[in-house]
Amino acid sequence: MTLTTLPEWAALGPVFALVATALLVLLVNTVAPDSDHGGLFATLTTGGGLTGLGITVWYLLGDTGQPDGGGPIVLFDGNLVVDGMALFFTVVLTSVVVLVGLASYDYLESYPDRAAYYSLTLLSATGMTLLAAANSFVIAFISIELISLPSYALVASMKHDRGSVEGGLKYFLVGALSSAILAYGISLVYVSTGSLGFEPVAEAIVRDGIEFPGILGFGILMILGGFAFKMAAVPFHFWAPEAYEGAPAPVSAFLSSASKAAGFVVTFRVFTQVFDGALGVVDWVVAAQVLAVVTMTVGNLAALRQERIKRLLAYSSIGHAGFALIALAALTGGDDTFVLTAGMAHLFVYGFMNTGAFLIVALGEYWGLGRRIEDYNGLREQAPFAAVAMTVFLYSLAGLPAGGGFLSKLYLLWASLEGGVAVLAVALILNSAISVFYYSRVVRAMWTEPPADDLDIEEHPTGLYAAIALALLFTVLLAPGFGFVLEFAETGADIVTG
Amino acid sequence: MSALLDPAVGIVACPLVACLVTLTTGRWLPLRGAIPGLVATAGSLGLAVWVALRLALGTAPTHETVYTFVGGVDGQGVVFSFGLLVDPLSALMLVVVSLIAVLVHLFSVGYMNEEGESDLDRYYAGLGLFTFSMLAFVVADNLLMAFVFFELLGLCSYLLVGFWFRDPGPPSAAKKAFLVTRLGDYFLLVGVVAVFATFGSGAFAGPDSFVTAAEGVVDSDTGYTFLDLSGQQVVDGIGLLVLGGAIGKSAQFPLHTWLPDAMEGPTPVSALVHAATMVAAGVYLLARMYGFYALSPTVLAVIALVGGFTALFAATRALVEQELKQVLAYSTISQYGYVMLALGGGGYVAAVFHLTTHAVFKSLLFLGAGAVIVATRHEEDMWEMGGLRERLPVTYYGFLAGSLALAGVFPFAGFWSKDELLFETLDHAAGGVSVLWVAYAMGLLAVAVTVLYTVRMLLLTFHGDPRTDRAADPDSVGWTMQAPMVVLGVLAAVAGVLNLGTLRGVLGEETLLLAEFLSGETLEGFGGLTTENGGFALSAGQYAETLHDAAGYEAAGLSPVLSGMVALALAFAGVAGAVLLYRGDDPDTHVARLGRLGSVLANNDHQDEFQVWLASSVARRAALAANRFDRGIVDGVVNGLGAVALSLGGRFRRIQTGLVSNYTAMLVLGLTLLLLVFGLTEGWWV
Repeated sequence: MTLTTLPEWAALGPVFALVATALLVLLVNTVAPDSDHGGLFATLTTGGGLTGLGITVWYLLGDTGQPDGGGPIVLFDGNLVVDGMALFFTVVLTSVVVLVGLASYDYLESYPDRAAYYSLTLLSATGMTLLAAANSFVIAFISIELISLPSYALVASMKHDRGSVEGGLKYFLVGALSSAILAYGISLVYVSTGSLGFEPVAEAIVRDGIEFPGILGFGILMILGGFAFKMAAVPFHFWAPEAYEGAPAPVSAFLSSASKAAGFVVTFRVFTQVFDGALGVVDWVVAAQVLAVVTMTVGNLAALRQERIKRLLAYSSIGHAGFALIALAALTGGDDTFVLTAGMAHLFVYGFMNTGAFLIVALGEYWGLGRRIEDYNGLREQAPFAAVAMTVFLYSLAGLPAGGGFLSKLYLLWASLEGGVAVLAVALILNSAISVFYYSRVVRAMWTEPPADDLDIEEHPTGLYAAIALALLFTVLLAPGFGFVLEFAETGADIVTG
Repeated sequence: MSALLDPAVGIVACPLVACLVTLTTGRWLPLRGAIPGLVATAGSLGLAVWVALRLALGTAPTHETVYTFVGGVDGQGVVFSFGLLVDPLSALMLVVVSLIAVLVHLFSVGYMNEEGESDLDRYYAGLGLFTFSMLAFVVADNLLMAFVFFELLGLCSYLLVGFWFRDPGPPSAAKKAFLVTRLGDYFLLVGVVAVFATFGSGAFAGPDSFVTAAEGVVDSDTGYTFLDLSGQQVVDGIGLLVLGGAIGKSAQFPLHTWLPDAMEGPTPVSALVHAATMVAAGVYLLARMYGFYALSPTVLAVIALVGGFTALFAATRALVEQELKQVLAYSTISQYGYVMLALGGGGYVAAVFHLTTHAVFKSLLFLGAGAVIVATRHEEDMWEMGGLRERLPVTYYGFLAGSLALAGVFPFAGFWSKDELLFETLDHAAGGVSVLWVAYAMGLLAVAVTVLYTVRMLLLTFHGDPRTDRAADPDSVGWTMQAPMVVLGVLAAVAGVLNLGTLRGVLGEETLLLAEFLSGETLEGFGGLTTENGGFALSAGQYAETLHDAAGYEAAGLSPVLSGMVALALAFAGVAGAVLLYRGDDPDTHVARLGRLGSVLANNDHQDEFQVWLASSVARRAALAANRFDRGIVDGVVNGLGAVALSLGGRFRRIQTGLVSNYTAMLVLGLTLLLLVFGLTEGWWV
C-alpha cells in the first residue's frame, strides 16, 4: 500500500491525529465544563495515540517514506520530511502516549482539571512527532518549544503540591536558558551558511567552505547543548531529577521516555545529515563522546545513593541518555548505519521499559505507598504482578536478559566496538554493572524485605494495570522480536547516514 | 518429510510422554504408572525395530536438524541445535535400549509393585525420564545435544539410585555416583567447548562435522597450529578430554568407584541403568565419534590400556566380593573395559558387538539377581544362599545362560563378541601397534578371571546346600519377573549369530551380519553422509581406513580360530579353577589364603580411600587457596571499586543542590568549557 491514493500531506497523519484529539478534548471541556469527563478524556487520549500509532505502523509496513516506497516524503518546501526515522520514532512516541493515557485515567481520579492535563499531553506529543519529522531549524525550534511549554505546565499540574510547582518552575527556568542557547546556536549557523533548512545548510557547509569556522563551530556546539537539554544529558540534565520527582508519575514517564526520544531523533538527524560535513570545523563526534561518557557516569553514579525511587529512576534515565548518545559518539566513519541503528533500537526498547518502570511508581503513588525505596518493601505479598513487572523493567533497563534491554545494550556495545571507540565500550560496561546495583536495591526491597505493617493494598486500578501489562508485554516481546525492530531502525538509519 | 515426523522422534518421545503422564496422574493409575511406561517403551521398541529393519533393508540413514536454538548470525558463528542421526549404530542401540527398557518395566511390576513399595509413580516417572534421555542421547546428531542428554542421564541415575532415599545408604550412593561421574563430565564439558571453539561445529556426521574438520586439522599440510600445538596434538587433547567423560560414565578406572555403590538402587534400575544402557553411554559416545578417535593413535592407545587394565582389575575385584550385585557391578566395569579395549584396539565392530551382547546378558544377570533377592526376601550375600537351583528353576536357567555368556563359553553370545574383540586387538598388535600387546595380555588374563568369578558366583548362589533358612525356603518368582529372564536368556544364548567372527574363515565374511550392517553395506543410499570417494562416512570400513591411514593400524591377518582357541583354553582353566575351589555342598571362602592381599582386596583395593584422600588433601587445599585468592584479591578489588563508586555517587548526588541558580551556572559553565576546549583545539582563534 503506497500513498498513490492519499495526498502527500497525509504522511503527517499521526501529527494530525494527535492535534485533533487535543482540540477535541478542549472542545468537550468547553461545551460541558462542569461534568466529569475523566473516562472520556482518557479514552480520547488513548484513542488519539492509538490512531497515530496505527497510521504509523500502517505506513511503515506499507513502505511509505521508505526506500522501497518512493523514498522520503518531503513536505512544505522541504521544511518537513517523513522518512523511516521519523516513522520509527513516531511509533515510540505514540506508544508512550497510549500507555500514559491509559495509566492517567486511574491516577487522575481526584484531579480537578483533567481536560488541561490530557490536552497538554497530546499537544506536547504533537510537538514530538513534528520534531521527528522536522527538516529545518525553524521547525525544529518551534517543535521543541511546542514540546516544552506544555511539559512545564504538566510538571506543575499538581498546583497544591510544593514539589510539583517547584519542579515545574525549575524545569521552565533551565528550559528557557537552554532554548536561548539553542536559538543562539541556530542563529550562528544561519550566519555562517545563510540557510535554515537542513539540506541547504548541509549543502552550504560542503559547497562553500567555511569562512569563519569559529562561528559555525560555536553554533554547532550550542545546538548540541540545546538538544542535550531535551535528551537530559549532562550538564543540561539538572532539571530532570527535580521535574521527574515533582511531576505526577505518568508525566514523569512521558517526559523521560517520549520527550527524551524526541530529543534524540532531532539530534540524530541534524548531526548525521546536516553537520556531517562540518567535522573539519568542530569534531562533534568527540564532543558527543565526552557527553556520552560523562552523562553515563554522572547519571549512574548519582543514582547509586538515591533514597527515593523516582529520583533513582530519573538518574537512571539520565544514564540511559548517555548510553543512547553512543549512537552519535561512535560515528567515526566505520559502519555508521549500524551504529545509528543500535542507538535507535535502544531508544525503542527504552521507551517501553522506562515507561513501565515509571508507571509502577505511578501505581505506588496511587496506593499512597510513599516515595522512598523502602516503601516498596515486601510488595510481592500484596501485589505480585507489580513486583514481577517492576523486576523485569528494572533488569531490562540494567541490560540483564530480562527483556529487550539486554539485546539493545549488546548492540550498543557492538556499535562502540564497530566505531572503534573503546572508551565508550568500557564506560558502557562499567556503568551497566553499577546500574545493576541500584536497580537491585529496588528489587531486593520488593522481594526479600518484610512488608511494613500498614502495607495494605486493596485496589487494583484497571487502567494502570492495563498500561503496565502492555509495557511488560512489549518489554518481554522485544527480546525475541528485536530483529524486527532492528530491521526498521536500519532502514531509517540508512536514509539519514547514506 | 518434516524432521518432527521421523519415527526416531516417536521413539524418543514415547517414554517422555509416559514420564509426564505418570508424574501428573500416576498416583491414581493401577500399578502406579507401570502401564504407561510399558506401553511407551513397547511403542519405542516397535518403532526402533522398524527403523533398524528399514536401515537393514536399504533405506538411507536419517540426518536432520529438529530444532535450532542458536543459529549464528548471517551464517557466521556456531550453531547449536537438536537433531537426529539415525544410522546403523544408533539404530542398533535404539533397539537394545528400548528392548531392555520394556523388559525392565515388566520386571519392575514384579519386583516393585508386588513387593508393595510406595511412591512408585516417582519410580516409573524416573524410569521414563531415563529411557527418554538415553534414547535422545543415542540419536543425538551433535556433541552438544549428546552432552545435554549425557547430563540428564546422570541426573536420572541420581534420582533412581536414591529412590529409597529414606534409608541411609541410597542417598549417599546417589551422591557419590553423581559426583564421581561429574568429575568425568567436567572434562567432557571442556572437550565439548574445545570442539566448538576449534572446529566451529559439534556435528557428528556430514561435511560440516567436527570429525571432517579434524581430518583437515590433523593433515600437517594445512599448517594448522594453536598455541604452538600442532593439529595432531590439538586433536589428541580434545580426544582425551571427551574420553574423560566416557571414563566417568562407563565406570572405567580410575572413575569406576561409583558403580558398585550405585547398587543401592532398586535392582531393575541396576539392570537398566547400570548394566545395559547408561553405563554404555560413555563407550557409545566414543563409538559415535570413532572417526575422530581413529585420527589419534595416542588416544587410542590410552583407551586400549585403560580398557585392558579395567577389564583385568575389575575382574579381580569381582572375584572377592561377597554380595551378588557387587560381583555383577564389578563384572560390568570389567566388561566395559573390554569394550574400551576393543575401541582402542581398532575393533569397532567388535566393540559394538560386545556392547550389544553385554547389554543382553548383563541385564539378564541383574534381573536374575533381582529375582533371587526377592525370593530370599532381600538377601544379597551369596554366602547366605546356595542350593537355589531346584527351588527357582526358571531363574536358575536364565542366570545360567547369562553366566555362560558372561564367561564366554561357546556358543553363547559373549563368546563370539569377546573373542572378536580380543582377536581384533591381537591382530592389530601383531600388525605393529606394539602397545596393544600389553592391553591384549591384560584382556586375555581377564578372560580366566572372568570365568573364575562367574562360576564362583553361580556355584555359591545356586549350587550346594542352602546355607540359610531363607535360601532353603525361597518365595516363588512371579511371571512378570520370569518372562523378561526367559526372553533375555534366549537372546543371551543365540545373539552370537549376529557376528560369528571366530568362524569367519569357515563360514565366510558374508555371514557377519553385524559387520555388514555397521559397514553400511545394507544401505542403498547414505543420506548425504558420504566420504570423498563415495563411501558411507560412518561405516566400519571407513573407520578401518582412517585407522590405517592416520593411526597406522595394520591388520596382521592372523587366524581368528587360533585366538579363539587360546581364549577358550584360558576359559576352561578358569572353570576348572572355580570348580576346584568352590565345588561341593559347603564351599570354603579361601580369603585367609590370600594373606595381606586379602585385606587390600576386602577394602575395595583402597580406591575409595584414595579418592577421599584426593578430595580432602589435594582438592581441598587447592580450594582453600582459591578461596583466599577470591576473598582477598578478587573481592577486595570488587569491594574497593564498589566503595569508590558509592562515595563518588554521594558526591555526584550533592551536585544537585536544589538551587536553580546553581544549575544554570553549572550549565553555562559546562557549555563554556566545551566551547573553550574545542575552540582551542580546533584553532578557531588563531
